[in-house]
Formats: sequence, structure tokens, C-alpha cells
Amino acid sequence: MANDSNTTTGLYRRTLLAGLWRENPTFRLLIGMCPPLAVTTAVKPALTMGLSVIFVLVCSNLVTSLMRNLLKPHLRIIMFTLNIATFVTICDLYLRAYLPDMSEILGAYVPLIIVNCIIIFRAEVCASKCGPLVSILDAIGTGSGFTIALCILAGIREILATGRFFGIQIMPGGFVPWLAMQMPVGAFVTLGLLLGLINAVTRNKEA
Amino acid sequence: MFRIKHFVEQSWLLVTASFCFGLLIAVTNAALSPKIKENKDAKLHNLTVDLLPEAKRFVELDAEIEVKLAGGKKEKVKVYKAISEAGECVGWSFNASGQGFADKIEVVVAVDKGFEKIAGFNVLVSSETPGFGDQIKSSYYRDQFAGVPAEKLSLVKTGDPKKIDSEIVSITGATVSSEAVIGIINTFLIQIKEYIQQKGLIGNGK
Repeated sequence: MANDSNTTTGLYRRTLLAGLWRENPTFRLLIGMCPPLAVTTAVKPALTMGLSVIFVLVCSNLVTSLMRNLLKPHLRIIMFTLNIATFVTICDLYLRAYLPDMSEILGAYVPLIIVNCIIIFRAEVCASKCGPLVSILDAIGTGSGFTIALCILAGIREILATGRFFGIQIMPGGFVPWLAMQMPVGAFVTLGLLLGLINAVTRNKEA
Repeated sequence: MFRIKHFVEQSWLLVTASFCFGLLIAVTNAALSPKIKENKDAKLHNLTVDLLPEAKRFVELDAEIEVKLAGGKKEKVKVYKAISEAGECVGWSFNASGQGFADKIEVVVAVDKGFEKIAGFNVLVSSETPGFGDQIKSSYYRDQFAGVPAEKLSLVKTGDPKKIDSEIVSITGATVSSEAVIGIINTFLIQIKEYIQQKGLIGNGK
């Protein structure tokens, strides 16, 4: 019986799970750090941003994978950018039409997904070299890892800054909100502490 | 001939993809733009009705008013006449914008039918600092504008915020944002009032 890691199913599973932990873009690779710092004041906008990134990643990886044999090396970056910009614009239009409140809160950060290096990184590393199914699984895994990281950061900041989680009051009446957690300093401190914790856990596992 | 063939070989994918992606965006935009416009109008309508509760509909003035901004720039503004259920004018509203502490602040300002008193303002767009500058949306600050004379307003650091006069008490820790709102309202209100008075639009009932 073949080892699971050598089978096609094993490849699919590893591709899907890599982005969640081993190659988590926010906690392990530290790429695409603008949204984790800028849109994590509350869970709702963080989740909206994460789902938007998953949508753009899946569409961009799929299209890049389908045209991978036609790409010329010197034109590939401009093709990736064109491709990503199209799906980000579509995503932005959908948010403005169906989630106007979220669109307003996220502001310029949705159009800025175009320059988020996670998406161009996955297009270059995976989609331009692999088939459509692997590219889609990679996009779902990486996008989900990014979304989970955003939600963890946003959850901590929202609870400490407002006493609420997902808009629902969870802290007792006497809780004094830490307004600093809503400001950039809150994002840097929370992210720094989480990265330290993850490094400590990883080091213990490896030891 | 060789150069044209080389150019086509190198660029056909880029040109075709640009056309296809452009078409995709155009179709999505055409499908969603009515909904986006509807959302924007609904938000503006709700915020304005909040300031002028008697208003049932808003009629846009035929001409856009040109407002001179600081630095010599000019901006065209749409002014709306608020009409009650009985068909009478119950006030006026207009959008105004200017630079805040973090980014541009956009507000909707409402005044009474005689352009004598400000009915209030609501914030449409703001990226001011959470907990500080974004207090311009709070009732503490906004309530100070309801009922003040529609003339030049000034900002004071201390005072009674419940006293209704042209002196607005600043938000502690957010002087720049407080000043920005006063500046925006002063710039737009005075010029629009002059225009409306010159055109004789005040007090003409319907």
C-alpha cells in the first residue's frame, strides 16, 4: 500500500493544510501584513476581508493555472497583476452593492488586495506551475489560514477594546475598554505577542 | 513584417486577457451599479431624514452650486430641498467635505426652511482616530449643532455643550477633527446660503 504522502490524495491534503499552519501567511511567513494590522479592529470586517481574499485567491489561482502554459516569463507579473486586479474590482463592486456597511469600514483596504503579496506569491509559486485543482486547494488553504489569523487578531482586539465579540457584549459591566487596542499600537502589540507565542510553541514541538 | 509578427506573438495573450477582463468588469459594473447607487441614496436619505424628520422626499436644485474651498479650489455641490407630506418646504440639505485629521471627512448638513438655523449634521464618511476623532459622530458633539444660527461657527475648548449658540465645544483629544468639521460647515454653509438668498429660493413655499 502506497504511503499517503506519495498519493494524489495526500498531495491534495498537504496542499490544503499547508496554508493553515505550516505556511500560514500571517503567522509563519509574515507576508501580506497590511490587512492584519489595519482591518482587525473587529471580527466582522476581518472576516469580510478574509473571505474577499479567499475569493480573489481562488479566482486568480484558477485563471493563472489555466493559462500557465501560455505565460511568457517576462510578461507573467503583468498578467498576474491584471488577473488579480480584475477579481479585486469585482469583489469590491459586490461588497459595495450587497455589504455596503462592511465596504465602508474596509474602505481602501479592499482595492489594496491587488498589491497584497500573498496572492501574487501563490500565483507565482503554485498556480503558474500546477493544475487547476491543486491551485484551487492551495488558494482555499492559504486564504483560510489568512482569514483565521485575521479573526484571531480581530477577536482579541475587539474584546479588549470594546468588551464585545462579533458585536455581542461578552465582558462584564465593570469592564474598562482598552481604547489603545483599537489603534495601530493595539495591532502591533497583539500581533507581536501572538508571533512570540507561536514561535515558542513551534520551538517546543521541534525540540 | 517580422517585427509585427514578433509583437503579436509576444503580446496576444496580454491584449486578449485585457479585453476579456475589461469586459468582465464592465458587465459586473453594469449589473451592480444601480444597486450601489440605491445604497448610497438610501444612506443619504436616512441620514438626512434623521436631521429633518418632517421631510418625506428631497428635490434636487436644478443647478449645482460652486463652493470655493481653502487653497483656491472649487467644488460643485448638490443642494436638496426637503419636502413634507403636505408638499411644503421643511428645510434644505447638502453634502460637504474637507480634510480631517486622518483623511477626508464627508458630512450631510441640514438647515431649516428659512436657512436661519442649522438642523444638524451627520457624518457620511470619516476615517478619524477611533476613540478620539471619530467622536465627531457622537451625540455630545453633534447635538451642539442642532438649532444654532446658520452663520459662521467657532470652536471653543471649554464651555457648556448644552448651550445652543455659534460656539461649539471641542472634543477633548480631538481638536483637529472638531476644527475640521467646523471648517467644513462654515465653508459650505455660508456660500450656499448666499447663493440661495441671491436666487430668492428661500420662503417661496413649494
